[in-house]
Amino acid sequence: MTRMMKKNKEKEETVRQPYTKTTAVVQVVMTLVALLFLAPLVIIINYSFKTRQELYLSSPLALPQSFRLDNYIQAIKKLDMGTTYVNTFIYTAISVVILAMLCGVTAWAIARCRHKFFKFCYIYFIVGILIPYQALFLPIYTIGYKMHLTNTRYGIIFMYVATGLSFGVFLMNSFMATVPIELEEAARIDGCSIIKTYFTIVLPLLKPALATLIIMQSFQIWNDYLLASLYVSKKQLKTLTVAIQSLFSAQTSDYTTAMAAIVLSVLPIAVLFICLQKYFIKGMTVGAVKG
Amino acid sequence: MFKNKNDRQYLFLVLPGFIIFTIGLILPLLLSFRYSVTDWDGIAAEKVFVGLKNYIDLFHDENFLNAWWFTIKFTLGNTIIQNVAALLFAVALDSGIRCQKIYRTALFVPCLISAVIVGFIWLRMFSNVLPAVNDWLGTNFNFMLFGSGKTVLWGLLIANNWQWIGYWMLIYLAGLQSVPSELYEAAKVDGANAIRRFFNVTIPMLAPSITICVVGITTGSLKVYDLLVTSTRGGPGRASTSVIYQTYTTAINGRQYGYGSAMTVTLVMALLLVALIQVKGLKSKEVQA
Amino acid sequence: MKKTFALSMSAVLLAGAALTGCGGSGSGNQAANSGQTAAANTSAAGTSAAGQESKAASSDEKVTLTILAGQSTTDAGIEDMIDEALAGKYPNITLEWECVDWGNDFQPKMQQYLQSGLPDIMIGKAQDVATYAPLGVLAPIDDIYLDRGLDAARENVTVDGEAYGLVYNALYQGVYYNKTLFAENGWEIPKTLEDLQTIIDDCNTKGITPFASHMVDTWSIGNVTMQFAMNDVFNKDPEWGDKFRAGTVAFSDSEEFQAAYQYNKLIYDNTYANTFSMEQTDCDAKMVMGEAAMKVSGSWSIQNFLDIDENFDFGIFPFPNQTGDAKLIFEPNITIMTSAATKYPEAVANVLEVLTSDLELAVEIYDYTKTASMLKDVTPTFTNPSQDDIDRYAAAGQIVDVTLGNNQLVWGGFQEENAKDIAAWLQGDGSFEDALKASDGRVKASSATK
Repeated sequence: MTRMMKKNKEKEETVRQPYTKTTAVVQVVMTLVALLFLAPLVIIINYSFKTRQELYLSSPLALPQSFRLDNYIQAIKKLDMGTTYVNTFIYTAISVVILAMLCGVTAWAIARCRHKFFKFCYIYFIVGILIPYQALFLPIYTIGYKMHLTNTRYGIIFMYVATGLSFGVFLMNSFMATVPIELEEAARIDGCSIIKTYFTIVLPLLKPALATLIIMQSFQIWNDYLLASLYVSKKQLKTLTVAIQSLFSAQTSDYTTAMAAIVLSVLPIAVLFICLQKYFIKGMTVGAVKG
Repeated sequence: MFKNKNDRQYLFLVLPGFIIFTIGLILPLLLSFRYSVTDWDGIAAEKVFVGLKNYIDLFHDENFLNAWWFTIKFTLGNTIIQNVAALLFAVALDSGIRCQKIYRTALFVPCLISAVIVGFIWLRMFSNVLPAVNDWLGTNFNFMLFGSGKTVLWGLLIANNWQWIGYWMLIYLAGLQSVPSELYEAAKVDGANAIRRFFNVTIPMLAPSITICVVGITTGSLKVYDLLVTSTRGGPGRASTSVIYQTYTTAINGRQYGYGSAMTVTLVMALLLVALIQVKGLKSKEVQA
Repeated sequence: MKKTFALSMSAVLLAGAALTGCGGSGSGNQAANSGQTAAANTSAAGTSAAGQESKAASSDEKVTLTILAGQSTTDAGIEDMIDEALAGKYPNITLEWECVDWGNDFQPKMQQYLQSGLPDIMIGKAQDVATYAPLGVLAPIDDIYLDRGLDAARENVTVDGEAYGLVYNALYQGVYYNKTLFAENGWEIPKTLEDLQTIIDDCNTKGITPFASHMVDTWSIGNVTMQFAMNDVFNKDPEWGDKFRAGTVAFSDSEEFQAAYQYNKLIYDNTYANTFSMEQTDCDAKMVMGEAAMKVSGSWSIQNFLDIDENFDFGIFPFPNQTGDAKLIFEPNITIMTSAATKYPEAVANVLEVLTSDLELAVEIYDYTKTASMLKDVTPTFTNPSQDDIDRYAAAGQIVDVTLGNNQLVWGGFQEENAKDIAAWLQGDGSFEDALKASDGRVKASSATK
């Protein structure tokens, strides 16, 4: 089935669709749409170079008088960027690696084992997607505190893994159909245990899926505010989003620094996505088709 | 129970994730259940049991019901706009225009930004930037969408859709690219024009993507909170207070943690119900490829 | 078989190592935020505590105190000043700061820590004392330190005869007015509502917006309403809140409180047409540029005004009340509280000492935050064009502490919510009676203590 669909796609790609008048119109329209979508981002970047005076008194659409890096320097200082960047990076990277390992394994076991317990597991994990953990903040904190997880690096990573498992298992599960069961069976006949089968046969085949999972979870964890503010409040352990929040407070009118901070925090994720676009799209393709 | 040696190995693989998930998410949920039958204020040491009183009060709580009403409107708006727009854009991108990748990236980048930042960006857009466009063009549109209870929903819909359309568009794009061209050929032979082909071939084949998108958009919209924190703060007045926002304000600022927990439990139940209904309803319409 | 076992064990070990966050600085710094088990042992060969402290020559025990700071206005940054001052006198004490936004996050953070153990020092607002002292979690502040502060600061942080908070600075709240405009138009500072109306009418005929406001920020409505209430309700009846909870008075039949609510309408009718979309930056910019004559606000606006135009000449007067004897309102801002369960009472006392006796630090902080001093014999040196107005009222004893009102009717869950109903009423989404009824319906949430 998959092979047939792949062939079709290749056929379509080699046969270029004719560039008719309609296509040209669509091209123009989409160009406008893309520009509209990018406009707010361009404006933010524009703001990030302005001074406070320009902020209050000149038009938001005007270009800054000079492209000074003052706001960026301020942002780096105020946000303690050296520490927060590293922290956010560590938490994200480690959580994502653990999630990749756990979700793959869990989803595979659920997909392959016939035992009733595993069907229950599937639903159990999926329910997690529906749980709004913002409203559970106090119990999450209480449990975290009782287990000595708060204000530790491993505590926050634990929570990121816990909240990311649901979606991860769901995603990986939908990829399981792309792993041909014949290969696994062949390995089993050769005497491989279940666990070995997974690590040697299945895991390599899951690479695109894992790539998708890693990217999606990365930007969710990078942008998380609530869990980070609950679990890591010490200055040395702080994350980027928590630090940025302090620039958005109600009574501060100076948001030039905030603008620079926004650019600095979005940049790495944007770069990551652009580089890994290929895998991400590939991963989403399979997921979308299988459903 | 796990007699089979293989089953035991599978169990071993599942257990770590299971344990972490339970401790991190399920236990707090259960704790929340427990709090919801007390009148705890979040501060005092004792928690007094009050049975189902909180739940009964919820149904008379006008602010809570209004929060639900707003959240439902927001969800409906999102579901319709995001789905239709994402699908249209996907079709447009798939129709043979050049530089497809650039458009894809441009529309996708907003979803990489955290919701609190998106809220902040659009607050600035509506309050400062767009009114400046008025000056530039000499027009007089009312861009202050966050300023009135009547328009705040539209402002938030714009902000939210800006953030997420690109994401769902990618899913539809992937779905579109996997529709076998033979079906289109067959339809053409039958004399169907472009629009007929779209409704009779494309849409049914996209059913799995539609399911993912609709369920995803709905559950995400019902949980809206971060976006509001930096943009409208639930205002003006209470016009844009979502269920979670109301829960948070009541439980924390209002020092009614038990009552707030009842709100949470209600929300989780509702989310479960919605997801169940949608998945059942949409799955039955999927055509087996 | 053996291979599988080895593989699975290594997988578990790997996962375990990853979960413990690679040991190192993470767990080294771990303190289940009760702060009490902080790295205090010098014998631990200096490996822990993230190497912040240099090896002290003295044999003083190294202490790390946790401090939670609920910041507002432009407080962010004072922690560095305090650290510096402390390091000068007590190099063995290190403060571990957690700075959050007071309005949104201070209360949730306190709720969290009430579960796990309060930080050694907490910086909040004076009204927090009334919330947390009755729970028995705060330690009384020693008179030595209190005596270094103004007496006016003590009253509202005293519970059952003991003071649980040290008030450090104060904001002033009232009507900021454009001195130049007033002089040009020959307006006098209004003492009664009729005087105010004259100025409003004059503004309207001359095309000047009487009031600058940014009602899109519901908190601003809440803030000005309390200002009004101080001079119309609490001046006559300082226990109105207690009576409200006892059932003897209510919003629906309190003419005084209704008058306070109605002043909001007076402002709404005489301010920018789009005040519900206007945000603070624009609002203040317009004020500075002379498009508006007055703004009911607080000291946090000073920073903005002077940023836009450092020569802006403004003053302050209290919003007139029904009886023409309104007092200028001051709001104690930074209030230092200490935990009753702290393991380092001596170190905490040292910190209090530095804060109350280091006058250079005090001036630095006051200048930075543009606030008024609550320590004796300390005056900030920043330019505050409204200072002579403030001094006049203070000299005549015409100032009043808004903590009284904030203790009687709390901000979170009550004043804040009422403001939302007022906003709805002003925009026509509800009637005045509805807003009053809603406020009455909230009686249970009006006090921090049950």
